[in-house]
Amino acid sequence: MKRPPVPVTGINNVAKRIVGRRDSVLARKNIRDSLVSVAGLIGRPVRDIEGKDIGRLVDVVVRHGEETYPPVSGLIVKVGQRKSFINGARISILTKDEIRLSTTKINLEDYQRREGESLLDGDVIDHQIVDVDGLRVVRSSDLYLAPFDKEIRVVGVDISFVSFLRRIFPGAIRRRPTPEHVVDWASVASLADGHGVVRTSNSRAALSQLRPADLADLIEDLAGREQGALIELLDPELAADVLEEMEEEELQGLIRGLTSERSAELLSRMEPDESAEVLRDLDEEHRESILQVMDAVVAKQLRELVAFDETLAGGIMTTHILIVKENDTVAHALKLLVDNRERDISDGVVVVDARGRLVDHIQVVELVAAKAGALLSTLIGPPYPTSINLDTPLDEVVEEFSNNRGSSVIVVDAKNKPVGRILADDLVDALASQVDRRKFSQGSGGLS
Amino acid sequence: MTEVKKAAKKISPSAARTITPRKIRIAALLSVMGPGVIAGLSDDDPAGITTYSVLGAKYGYQMLWVLVISTIALILFQDLGARIGVVTRQGLIGLVRQKYGARSGVLSAVVLILANVGTMTAEFAGIAAAGQLFGYSKYVTVPAAALIVSFLVLKGSFSRVEKVFFVLSAVFFAYIIAGFLAHPDWGKAFHGMVVPTMPFTKDAVFIATATLGTTLAPWGLAFIQSYAVDKRLTRDDLKLLRVDVWTGSLLTGVIGFFVIVTCAATLNRQHITIVNASDAAAALKPLAGTLAKDLFAIGLIGAALLAASILPLSTAYSVSDLTGRPAALDDSPKEAPLFYGTFAAITGLSALLILIPGAPLITILVVSQILNAALLLPLLVYMYGISKDKRLMGEYSATKTMLWIYRVIIAIVFVCVGCMLWFTVH
Repeated sequence: MKRPPVPVTGINNVAKRIVGRRDSVLARKNIRDSLVSVAGLIGRPVRDIEGKDIGRLVDVVVRHGEETYPPVSGLIVKVGQRKSFINGARISILTKDEIRLSTTKINLEDYQRREGESLLDGDVIDHQIVDVDGLRVVRSSDLYLAPFDKEIRVVGVDISFVSFLRRIFPGAIRRRPTPEHVVDWASVASLADGHGVVRTSNSRAALSQLRPADLADLIEDLAGREQGALIELLDPELAADVLEEMEEEELQGLIRGLTSERSAELLSRMEPDESAEVLRDLDEEHRESILQVMDAVVAKQLRELVAFDETLAGGIMTTHILIVKENDTVAHALKLLVDNRERDISDGVVVVDARGRLVDHIQVVELVAAKAGALLSTLIGPPYPTSINLDTPLDEVVEEFSNNRGSSVIVVDAKNKPVGRILADDLVDALASQVDRRKFSQGSGGLS
Repeated sequence: MTEVKKAAKKISPSAARTITPRKIRIAALLSVMGPGVIAGLSDDDPAGITTYSVLGAKYGYQMLWVLVISTIALILFQDLGARIGVVTRQGLIGLVRQKYGARSGVLSAVVLILANVGTMTAEFAGIAAAGQLFGYSKYVTVPAAALIVSFLVLKGSFSRVEKVFFVLSAVFFAYIIAGFLAHPDWGKAFHGMVVPTMPFTKDAVFIATATLGTTLAPWGLAFIQSYAVDKRLTRDDLKLLRVDVWTGSLLTGVIGFFVIVTCAATLNRQHITIVNASDAAAALKPLAGTLAKDLFAIGLIGAALLAASILPLSTAYSVSDLTGRPAALDDSPKEAPLFYGTFAAITGLSALLILIPGAPLITILVVSQILNAALLLPLLVYMYGISKDKRLMGEYSATKTMLWIYRVIIAIVFVCVGCMLWFTVH
């Protein structure tokens, strides 16, 4: 059920809100005065240039693109018994009292939904949208159009309950705009989609300002289809971070709703141990369909991880480790660390001997302090890292951790070759899911 | 851990909070009591028991087929509700708003409130009737029950006493034993189940409609769907949820069956018509002898409290879903006025209705269920529409055969309600 609203703190968020206000087109008086309620328009007569009724408005079509405020690309009008599409270029007047076309001739063509278009009444009003400012999922009660930048565009959205109730009344009450409840279209992310996915630049920009954890909460509040739509709006890198923040079961559900290609893209950007956990719980057919479209190297690595039991070291570890040889130079090790700085593991390198067996783990600090040309073998010495086998059970891993007070242990295979590392946070994740199982714990729900 | 246990953890609301590792086995047992079973047993609330008793006492075995149809309808629509909840992850009212617009959204919310005030009134009528069997005035028992239930739910200790109510209401399992002890005519019972005949009189149509309305209650449909949404059940959990829903719905039917059979074998044979609760309790005499009244009263109290605890909460959740953001107990009244408003309105209004001096309890119990049946119609039609919407339901959309079955059920409810209106006018 609903989480308590996340308090918006931090100077960035506050700054963003202030900037958002100032930029809002709703602040302009001419726009505020010419707002037209979409819910009020639906069902109104559409007239031709001579003022003759030709039909009733069924829906308003908008085109999403790189613009913040999507322009109206046409109207769907019920002429007789038929629903026809009228191109937006033929609209001469569109106010709350009148819809008039610039022609007398209309050719009746059926509306075919095109990529990047959405129907305001059919797809957006009463559907879930993300209120980016308030960090919550809401339903839109009404949308507002206004002439702006040479076209009629969606400029505002109303999410208030009062405006929703207004719509059940007939006639003038229904059409009366309530600008006091309208918020800028730029501060919401609409997840409406026709065929494909609407990628509005403003939604993307607004969403990418949010923290992955907040986005994860938002996604968990959305309906199934919209979840996928929101993930599609995000950059893959951010999407992968968001996925890592999600509850395991939510994530399972989400992955089921995505295409194999998209799943593969996201999973290969996530921490391998977390991706493996997701993959492990999918059925084999689905798992294979994802692994097959993945980069071969990553897929191979994930396949190995998936095979491990999640209560053994091999199932908990991350395979992100940087392996260097004893006779490599310090400069080489540092370069490797810099090259991989994106991947959260830059606290040191694992040193192996000529046959690939574990020798030592060298911290960044030690590398920085040493001469660039020095061989790594000169840095080897105590304290040596703790190493455990792939099949070490979880409780022994915990014991190793508490005995050594270290922040990580290195996992080696039967030949003492390093294959992965268990960091404190991996251990916390593993233990948390154990506790979860034992305690039958459950999130706070309001229903019985 | 296996998938089944994982899902059981989520589905069972009662097992969740109190279980320590040692008690897992008990948890597994209690996890049988998922939302479907709760909804099922709450269907056997005072209104349900009374309606079934009246049906059996007045018409013997003849109209058992109404219960059969009602149970099939219950299974199919509860199953549909669970599916819609899991697949769309939206509550019924919110979804109706999305698909059918503002007016339909408001209509379905109003329908739900009306039906649930009716059913809640029936729960309090059950409390009042049980109180009278023990010799307490309704002016004491009803306000006390309203306060207890609100306190338990709002203070969050409901889950602890839930099991107590559950056990109390399980007294109605006694009807299964009583049914056998009363030596019913099984042949006639079977005949009544499969051969649909009934006298075409006002009373018969009314009781048939009430049976439909009490078995396939509107609140149950909204409840199962919001439960799936609220507990964030995934498609993996759906199988288990469906087992639970089917179990609960069948249980409703089985208990209903034995209530009718017991009453047919006792009250109907002795030509007793039910005008108050002690008449209905008399059906348990073959089993409990002089304790029949006590047993019946205890069952009434347990079932009434169980249903009365879930009903206002589930309604408040559904109605606040209309705003686009379902509220919950962790919101303050200021944040969620619609949620708490609905809760208070349902509890308060129905308690007041019962306190009207001379309110005929048995009539209220049955009439509230007739109201349920009438109000059921729009909800069933909306659910039908959602079930065939491919954009919403995807691969879980109803098949052609299923759509036909839904249509037949809706038509039956429609005919019942139509006949009832006809009789009311003439």
